[in-house]
Amino acid sequence: MARVLVVDDAAFMRKVVSDALASGGHEVIGEAGNGNEAVARFQELKPELTMLDITMPEKTGLEALAEIMTIDPGARVLMCSALGQESKVIESIKLGAKDFVVKPFQPERLLEAVGKALA
Amino acid sequence: MGATDMTPRDALMRLGASTAEAVAQVLEMFAPGSVERGEVTVIAEGQSPFSGIVAGSVAASVSYVDGVTGANLFVLTAAGVRNMAQAMGMPAPEEGESGELSELELSAVGEASNQMMSAAASAIGVVLGQEIEISAPDIRVLDNPDAAGEIYGSSPHATSTTFLIGGESCRLIQLVPRAFVVRMARALDELDSETVDDSRASGADGAAAGTAQSMALVEALTGIKVRVWAELGRTQLALSRALGLPLGAVVELDHAADAPVDLYVNGLRFAQGHLIVTDDGEWAFQCDTVGGRAVPDPSPRETLAMEVLQDVSEPTFGDDAEVVPVDEALEIVDDEVVEAEPAEAEAVTADEVVEAGATDDDTAASPTNDEEGA
Repeated sequence: MARVLVVDDAAFMRKVVSDALASGGHEVIGEAGNGNEAVARFQELKPELTMLDITMPEKTGLEALAEIMTIDPGARVLMCSALGQESKVIESIKLGAKDFVVKPFQPERLLEAVGKALA
Repeated sequence: MGATDMTPRDALMRLGASTAEAVAQVLEMFAPGSVERGEVTVIAEGQSPFSGIVAGSVAASVSYVDGVTGANLFVLTAAGVRNMAQAMGMPAPEEGESGELSELELSAVGEASNQMMSAAASAIGVVLGQEIEISAPDIRVLDNPDAAGEIYGSSPHATSTTFLIGGESCRLIQLVPRAFVVRMARALDELDSETVDDSRASGADGAAAGTAQSMALVEALTGIKVRVWAELGRTQLALSRALGLPLGAVVELDHAADAPVDLYVNGLRFAQGHLIVTDDGEWAFQCDTVGGRAVPDPSPRETLAMEVLQDVSEPTFGDDAEVVPVDEALEIVDDEVVEAEPAEAEAVTADEVVEAGATDDDTAASPTNDEEGA
């Protein structure tokens, strides 16, 4: 069971992801609504896992991912992508993301990816 | 070839149809069986694309960024927002709470628009031959729809498509700059002359486009070539000793002679087994166990592909490494034999033998990077 930071610009998606994580016994220790907040909260909270949306205002998920991986090359980050973001997903994996889930997803799929990222 | 007989109206209709199809595909994921798509309408120049919008409607706007201008508005009534939010999993408001839309409900519609337009941008990107990025959604309540033009700007071209979600009408409005229509028309002309029957790329065949899109990511990953090699054992030597190794020197490895041999896929220890000699006199690897993993089923394949792709920093052991696509690597199951004959690498499938050859050919010459970048 992990301490997780949930990053998405949509409050609705933060709730969906947080609910799914809670149902799997994980603890959501913080949320962020854009890439800048994501990096700041990552530094502050040192989560075991970060759920990171790709399309966000101010700083995108990919830019935030690059900074997070610089801060902690061992960071475990799981990307939340939409249909049509294939190249972004591949880029994020190259930057060091552990895995991805494509929205809209079922909670089971999310928990499966979380389990593998933490393994 | 390349005759420019696509009119701006044709191009707009195709753009509208392609976008509407992608949008409908995502809507259908949220609300299976309760989505109906209406006809695409091209708004005549000089007419407002916002006419008929009811005051109090909610508009979620998603723009393209990087090189492609234009905007896409998803306009819903308050009841439509509520339907959509519930379709996405939000609980229905309690009795007496049915007035104002909550921030969470508005956020749900913004998220839906983001997902729909991401899929649509991908479909249009196929036509234009370039990747199209989208912005994060902007959500507002249109108290005065007549003033929408001031918020979203005017555009010489626009399309409108109506959708019914659970019986509630909503509308997709695309504001399209002139330059974009010209590019779209040119791209469609080229596409039509090259691939008349490729309905996937044109977006004309919705079902095919949908299937292709949902499979695209897995395909993009599974087509990547990865290096596969068997490892007999390893050790560490000081550089000075390595450089000074005399002929006949014996370097002990950390593996017992009768211990299983490891099979690596792009640096990930993937399977254990033993070496055998094929009828052609080449080394081959026979899998005994697959790294503690069960035989992969379709669902975790993308995750396994990710694991394989991540570890590209491991040594590749030069020419002894075999290159096979990720999906073939993922098909390797217990008791399978992996041979090393590069010329045969493309044809390797389950139950086949994959050899570990020492020569490179075209399939082995360019490892993962070229393919990943594609």
